[in-house]
Amino acid sequence: MQDAITTLINSSDVQGKYLDDASLENLQSYFRSGDLRARAAMTISANASMIVTKTVAKALLYTDITAPGGNMYTCRRYAACVRDMDYFLRYGTYAMLAGDPSILDERVLNGLKETYNSLGVPVGATVRAVQAMKEVTTEMVGAEAGREIGTFFDHICSGLS
Amino acid sequence: MSIITQAIANADREARYLSRGELETIDHFFHDGQQRLRIASILTNNVQAIVEKGSQRFWQRCAITPSNSGSERFQASCLRDQAWFMRLITYAVVVGDIDPIEASGVRGGKAMYLSLEIPLRNVAECMRCLKEVTLDMLTLEDAAEVGPYFDYLIQGLVP
Repeated sequence: MQDAITTLINSSDVQGKYLDDASLENLQSYFRSGDLRARAAMTISANASMIVTKTVAKALLYTDITAPGGNMYTCRRYAACVRDMDYFLRYGTYAMLAGDPSILDERVLNGLKETYNSLGVPVGATVRAVQAMKEVTTEMVGAEAGREIGTFFDHICSGLS
Repeated sequence: MSIITQAIANADREARYLSRGELETIDHFFHDGQQRLRIASILTNNVQAIVEKGSQRFWQRCAITPSNSGSERFQASCLRDQAWFMRLITYAVVVGDIDPIEASGVRGGKAMYLSLEIPLRNVAECMRCLKEVTLDMLTLEDAAEVGPYFDYLIQGLVP
């Protein structure tokens, strides 16, 4: 797992070069936005279950997917979906704090698409739900922090499709 | 690993969000970030001078050493390695952790110098000279930030 700092250091180390002005500038803006990230993480963790509830209501609850024959039909599958939404939110929050998507690649997306395909989970609906989660989260943490975490929700979506 | 990745890894092991305390620690780390970047750029901009002065000091203290034996190749390698270790120090300052020094410098460092038949005692002394020269050029506060990374490096190289 990497963050914005270790990613830069690792790539500089491999090339044997000092951190140049551009890299330092990048880190500076990462540090400057740190307060925003930490505060957003605090808000999200305090409201996580509410964000998930709203997300499910917004994107999934009133569609065919929860009706008999849909992939969220039976409570067991519904619960599994809610749990996965929980995961996406938590890992999205981690990635936002780190300012780096590697944790998503390593711990969420690795093999996820294959798992969903084999379980018959519709990727399209999942992507719609993650996009809805982006909107719900942004409403909660504000536009600026919403943009920060939004890029990582988008990363999850592009990793799924 | 930085404080950030460390805290995330801990939280993930327990499948929870970061605690308030952990987030405050990270926030603090963000705040100090500008300071660490400033120190790193002072070091980066002065590497050449530091290595030059450090070498002079080193050869005064350890006159009998491969890099001072008249072999230009040994001398060049010595200067190169010093700049190399300085680079790792700047990384460590930026990330606020010994990890870059440990991963790229200390691990295997002793074995490498032993196999090259370079006396470890002298390598450690050379690092000590680099430390002194570097700390001389920093303010007291900055020196307190950088010093421990040199100490870690030196500890990792003493025989």
